[in-house]
Amino acid sequence: MATPDTTPLPDMTAAELVLGLLDGDERDAALHRLARDPAFAVEVDAWRDWLGALYAAWPGIEAPAAVSARIEASLDTRGGVPAAANDNQRWRRLAAVAGLAACLLLVMTVMLVRRPPPAPVRIPVAAPAPLIAAIAPTARGAPIAAAYDPASGTVRIAGGVDVPAGRTAEVWAIRGEEAPRSLGLLPRAGARLTVPAGARAAMAPDTVLAISIEPAGGSPTGLPTGPVVATGKLSG
Amino acid sequence: MFSVTFVPVSDDPRRTAARVALVEALVRTGQEDRDAFRTVYHLTSAKLFGICLRICDDRQGAEDVLHDVYLTIWNRAGAYQPGRASPISWLATIARNRAIDWRRRQGRAHRAPVEEADATADGTVPQDDALIADETHARLHDCLEAIELRQRSAIRSAFFGGLTYAELAVAQAVPLGTMKSWVRRGLLALRGCLDGDS
Repeated sequence: MATPDTTPLPDMTAAELVLGLLDGDERDAALHRLARDPAFAVEVDAWRDWLGALYAAWPGIEAPAAVSARIEASLDTRGGVPAAANDNQRWRRLAAVAGLAACLLLVMTVMLVRRPPPAPVRIPVAAPAPLIAAIAPTARGAPIAAAYDPASGTVRIAGGVDVPAGRTAEVWAIRGEEAPRSLGLLPRAGARLTVPAGARAAMAPDTVLAISIEPAGGSPTGLPTGPVVATGKLSG
Repeated sequence: MFSVTFVPVSDDPRRTAARVALVEALVRTGQEDRDAFRTVYHLTSAKLFGICLRICDDRQGAEDVLHDVYLTIWNRAGAYQPGRASPISWLATIARNRAIDWRRRQGRAHRAPVEEADATADGTVPQDDALIADETHARLHDCLEAIELRQRSAIRSAFFGGLTYAELAVAQAVPLGTMKSWVRRGLLALRGCLDGDS
C-alpha cells in the first residue's frame, strides 16, 4: 500500500552502486567512498551478494558459435587482452608518473631484492634475466620489492600494503596504454604470484606494477575499481 | 519452460554437482588450463550472452562484449576465491558490468521498455538453471515480492536493463526525484526484509 512519504530519502548508495544506477559525479563519489570507508565496502559486498541471486532469473540465450572461435583465436594470438578496456586515460597518466618514481627507486629495489624478507627471491642463474621493480606507496612508506622470474612465470612481492577491513589488495600489470591485467590478490605478508598466461607478454621492462584496494575477492570488473596505493616500474 | 519451487542447494545433488563442476573448472582456468576454460564457457556462455544481449540491446555489440568478457575471465580466473562468491554470480557480474560499460560508451538510450524487464525477469527460474538457485535467491524473491510494485519494477529494471536513474525516469515518464524516491524506499524495504530474515 503506497503511503505519502515525506521522510528524507534514505542513503542507499551501496545498493545504487551495485545496481549501476549512478553515473557521472555521483558514481565517482561512490567509488571514492568505497575505497575509504570499510563499513561502506562491507555494505556494497552485502548488496552484491543479495542482488547476485537475481542472476538466476536471467534467461540464457545460446551464444553464436563464432564467439567461441573468436575467443580461442584471441587467446592464441593476443594473450587475452580485453580490447574494450584499452582507452583508460587514468592508467596512461599513472604509467607516466610511475615511470619517474621508478628511476628514483631503482637502487633501493636492487638492495631489497637481494635480501627479501622472509624467503629469498628465486632468481635463476641462467637467462632469461628477472625483472625487478620497487612498488612505492603513493602516500608514504617504504617501497615493496618485486621480482618477476620469466622462467617460472612468477612474480615475487616481498610485502603487502595496509588494507581496510573487508577489502583486499590486488596487483596489476600495466604495459603502455593497454588495459591493466590482474596478477592476483596480495596477502599482507607478500606472496609469490603466478602470472596468468595472458598477462606474461606484458611483463616487460617499463611495464608498471600497481597495487589497488578492491572489494574482498578482488575487483568484480576485471579492472581496478579502488584507489591505487602503490606503483613501480619493471626494469631489467 | 516452467517455474520451480526454490530449494536449498544442499538438498539438490544435481545443483550442487553443477556448481562444484563450475568452481573446479574456474580454478583450473586460473592455472591456465585451456580445456577447463572451455568447460567454463560451455557451462556459462548462454547465461552470460543472455546478460550481454539484454543490456547491450544490440546483437553485434553483445557478441563483442561476450568476447571481451571471456578474455577477462581467462585473465582473472586466478583471482576467483571459491569460498567467497558463487561462481556464476562472479562471472555474471563481470558480464553485466562490461555490457553496461559498452552501452554507456555507445551513448545510447536503452530502447527496451521498462515493462519488458519484468516480462523477461519475473522471478521464476528455468528448470535447467542448476547453477545459481539457492536459499539466497528464494529469500530475495520473497522480499522483492513484499515491496511496492512500482518500487520492485524500478529495481528489477535497473538490474536487468542496466539502467541509470536518469534512464529509468525517462522510461517511466516520471521526474528524476520521483524515481530516486521509489528506488531508494524500495531498497530500504528490501534491506529491512533481507536483514530480518538472515
